[in-house]
Amino acid sequence: MSPIVATWLRTLLVQASFNYDRMVAIGAAWAIQPLLRTLPPDRYRAAMRRATQFFNAHPYLVGMAMAAVAKAECTGVPDETIRRLRHALVSPLGSVGDRLIWAGLMPGAVGVGLAVGVLVSPVVGAIVFLVLYNAAHFATRTWALREGWHKGHEVAKALTARGIQRGMRVAGPVGALAVGFAIPVVGGWLTREFTLHVKLGVVMVGLLAVAFAQWILPSFRGLRFGLVAAAVALVIGWAFR
Amino acid sequence: MIEQFGLLLLWGTLVGLDLASVGQTMIARPLVAGTVAGLILGDPLAGGTVGIVLELFALDVLPVGAARYPDYGIGAVAGAATAAGSPGMVGIGVAVSTGLIVAYLGEVGIVTVRKGNTADLRRHREGLDAGRLREVRGLQMRGLLRDLARSVFLTVVGLGLAVATHQWTPGTIEGALLMTLVLVGAGIGAATAGILKAVERSAVVRWFGLGLVLGVLYVVVVQ
Repeated sequence: MSPIVATWLRTLLVQASFNYDRMVAIGAAWAIQPLLRTLPPDRYRAAMRRATQFFNAHPYLVGMAMAAVAKAECTGVPDETIRRLRHALVSPLGSVGDRLIWAGLMPGAVGVGLAVGVLVSPVVGAIVFLVLYNAAHFATRTWALREGWHKGHEVAKALTARGIQRGMRVAGPVGALAVGFAIPVVGGWLTREFTLHVKLGVVMVGLLAVAFAQWILPSFRGLRFGLVAAAVALVIGWAFR
Repeated sequence: MIEQFGLLLLWGTLVGLDLASVGQTMIARPLVAGTVAGLILGDPLAGGTVGIVLELFALDVLPVGAARYPDYGIGAVAGAATAAGSPGMVGIGVAVSTGLIVAYLGEVGIVTVRKGNTADLRRHREGLDAGRLREVRGLQMRGLLRDLARSVFLTVVGLGLAVATHQWTPGTIEGALLMTLVLVGAGIGAATAGILKAVERSAVVRWFGLGLVLGVLYVVVVQ
């Protein structure tokens, strides 16, 4: 197996040893190792030591930083430059990944999957979601690793490329539009057997949940609000049995 | 029965690993995890419905780096096991509640695993700073094993809860339906609040608003 393919496969496990001291550094060091094997023993150890120092990035883009660092190590770039390169990539890779993937691709694919799930069937919705999401996911991982390996310590240029900038501009609105469309469609489907009054009651609970999350008590949101609301419903259900 | 339990245990474990440690291919999203669990149990509609409601809750939080996030995937597996075979929407409320409890336990479990990884790293700092591959490989494998153990344990706990709550009706049919509807409302609120938090920028909020309007129009006109 070629070193670059081995590194690509190992980036799939980059968060396996996630910790609060060095974040994804250990996973990243393990991923980069096949690319460093050809270095002489002293430079190999120094490169591995640098690779295990603090590092964090979006897991799909971590390959870009690792491949760029490996290229720099293999071409004899000075230690200090490699250290600066690692440090300089943490924030941009995190920011690009968050905007492109977590705030764009994921809600967008989930929105489409939910809409298809209720309009066609949950099985089809799940398949559509997985195909849409992972087509972009694996393309991103592959592109990131390739760009890092080709551009080396000049990899930052890849993040300012027109395609990435355009992707970041488009991803957020598309994700928001898809989830915005899916929420009422899913709500309508889940309450399809109930009267209009009941549907309005569901909307009121939803608005209350938003009010708690946004203004009243932001820490009491999502799962916690859901559990307390379920407990209240349970008590009311018992009281009026 | 034992075969189904084995398949659910396997699926729950894979889903738990996918959440953070292996791949993040999003089989851990409740829409997928719940639907597949429903297929295993011969009731994909019940599993899918639980997955869809939990997916609304999951939109509230993004799986970003060190952020604390619940394990909705294994929660959806437990929820689907609770709801399978229940008529209509009656069992969905109890099933989603089971899923939320399991998801919360999963959140605690992820933090525990990461604390374990941190302690492990501190014990092997010397070897890491000497650039030894053996230490790096060992930390990776032990981290993976910790998450594997967490996933297996949480799935077993989730399936145990599902057995305990399966076909249990909270008081009356009306009470069960009330629970379902309250959780659907809470899920809708969680998804809305999550997207508002994620997008923040006003231009994107407008796209979310446009989506909501189109969705409401679709419900009013078509559904």
